[in-house]
Amino acid sequence: MSTAAARGPAAAPSARPAGYALVRAGRGSFLVHRRGTAVAAGLALLLAAACLAYLCIGKTYAEPGEVLKVLLGEPSREEVTVGTLRLPRMTVGLLVGLAFGAGGALIQTVARNPLASPDVIGITQGASALAVGAMTFGVTSYAALPYVSVAGGLLAAALVYVFAWRGGLHATRFVLIGIGFAVALRSVTHLFMTKGDYLVAQRAQVWMTGSLNGPGWDEAAPLAWALLALAPFLFWAARAQRTVTMDDDTATALGVRLNRVRGGLVLLGVVLASIATGAAGPVDFVALLAPQLARRMTRTAQIPLLSSALTGAVIVVVADLLGRKLLEPTQLPVGVLTAAVGAPYLIRLIIKGHSTRNSGGTA
Amino acid sequence: MTESVTEGLKEGLKGSRLAARDLTLAYEDRTVVDGLDLAVPDGEVTIVIGPNACGKSTLLRALGRLLKPARGTVLLDGEDLARIPTRAIAQSLGLLPQTPVAPEAITVADLVARGRQPHQRWWQQWSEADERAVADAMARTDTTALAERSVDELSGGQRQRVWIAMALAQETDLLLLDEPTTYLDISHQVEVLDLVRRLNRERGRTVVAVLHDLNQAARYADHLVAMKAGRIVAQGRPADIVTADLVREVFGLHAVVVPDPVTAGPLVIPGKPWEGEERAYVPEPGAAERA
Repeated sequence: MSTAAARGPAAAPSARPAGYALVRAGRGSFLVHRRGTAVAAGLALLLAAACLAYLCIGKTYAEPGEVLKVLLGEPSREEVTVGTLRLPRMTVGLLVGLAFGAGGALIQTVARNPLASPDVIGITQGASALAVGAMTFGVTSYAALPYVSVAGGLLAAALVYVFAWRGGLHATRFVLIGIGFAVALRSVTHLFMTKGDYLVAQRAQVWMTGSLNGPGWDEAAPLAWALLALAPFLFWAARAQRTVTMDDDTATALGVRLNRVRGGLVLLGVVLASIATGAAGPVDFVALLAPQLARRMTRTAQIPLLSSALTGAVIVVVADLLGRKLLEPTQLPVGVLTAAVGAPYLIRLIIKGHSTRNSGGTA
Repeated sequence: MTESVTEGLKEGLKGSRLAARDLTLAYEDRTVVDGLDLAVPDGEVTIVIGPNACGKSTLLRALGRLLKPARGTVLLDGEDLARIPTRAIAQSLGLLPQTPVAPEAITVADLVARGRQPHQRWWQQWSEADERAVADAMARTDTTALAERSVDELSGGQRQRVWIAMALAQETDLLLLDEPTTYLDISHQVEVLDLVRRLNRERGRTVVAVLHDLNQAARYADHLVAMKAGRIVAQGRPADIVTADLVREVFGLHAVVVPDPVTAGPLVIPGKPWEGEERAYVPEPGAAERA
């Protein structure tokens, strides 16, 4: 069958949505958003540059050539500074940023509201409350924290869900109850800290601000494995996100098993944000900011998952670099910097929220 | 349900792929539709009318599996709708809700293409059939020229046509429309209803629509269903059932029914509710000029 001939002259406009390229592979066919792909590629380059800068700049300057040698495993005079001190810290920052960015994107998509970000509605606060509780009661290994955090994040999400449910989820109610829980869970964390001994409290305090000053390869490895294990689900999520951006009735009419898809996306988002919290503490506002910035760049109809993750990673790596350099020799925890940028943005969103058409939508 | 009963139902529903049996619908504790039976005639335009809150939209939602029955069943090809996977339903039954919400900043073609969802897989995101269905849906609704525009910036009439295009791209034999003419001015209302009729006449699509306007319903329906308080009061050809008595019973309105000067079908003209009232205010002569 000659479809090209059947459709008439080659100049006939395609019904394929503008901005998408069609990629065929065997029996498969994929719609690729051109601008979205270009943005993701650009972000990947930017991230690589940020990582290189991160490894070069510090108390002492390391030449990019030496940094590359370290990365390639060749002997170098910067072995200790770059390889042992900066590289593991950067890796944790990178992975944490990816996880916060992706987690934020998923939850914001399902709630159809940028405010419903895991760091605003109590997910990361729940993760840190349980983690600090565990520290207080004798869990000393940083590596165990991700598991405790995930439990805490899921618990917080379940609580917010139960309290926000009134025969349906309303976005505004969901966000307000989430903010309430976020505050309450912060207090629980402080309560744990006063119960613990002085050293634990101090460590927890630093961790709570969101800090990369501490974690090393022992934390980076489980984080990397966890993200790798979640990768196939993320592949599913990127496509499933498309279907939950419409209203409930339309999505159902199009054959989407809405509750299942939503539940899956939220679960994935909560796990991602909680794992990241477990590794570096609640690095505030990355999960809120990254998806919003990414979407403004790609101009897609839904929040882009990959670009959100990459944006999150860029934010965390750059913020930690600035945190190390800005007030030398004092090190600012990365969470202080992300909060400095994120808090004003949150306020802006809340003010603007009253005029946007999506503010009253159902979650 | 045993095999023989299912067979028996199928037998009884010849000519109706979509039907409701003893359907009771409720929100929380409030029963909206009570023990309703309905057989939607294949290949015809069925229009459901009735006063506000009579349960007509609720019925449509249940026919489209958006609302689970409290009792009774909706049958699609003789099978209980609740037992059919929602994706499989979406391949033979399309539904356009009353106030659909588009993703922010989505383009027209992108939205229409979403109608292909039930026919796609993650590794098959754009087939020849998708291309054809979307192009055809946009052409039929006269939205091809809008393809690259953002849905946000369209007028109400254009937007409604785009949503209908999305439902058409789904290429289902059955199409349910919940008040497709709401918020549209009269010319756009007629345009949308003409489109629905053409779909039925030229493509043999079975359509069920909920409408507000009795005269439009009488004009466009093959099969008219009049509802009141969750029950069907009358159903059949508009010419057979639309009478002054029916209008009084269903809407509580005095009216006369005359032949439509254009179609010769029934045309409902409301009576004079103010008859017998004294005129209490008489404008002074010349008041209009002074103002």
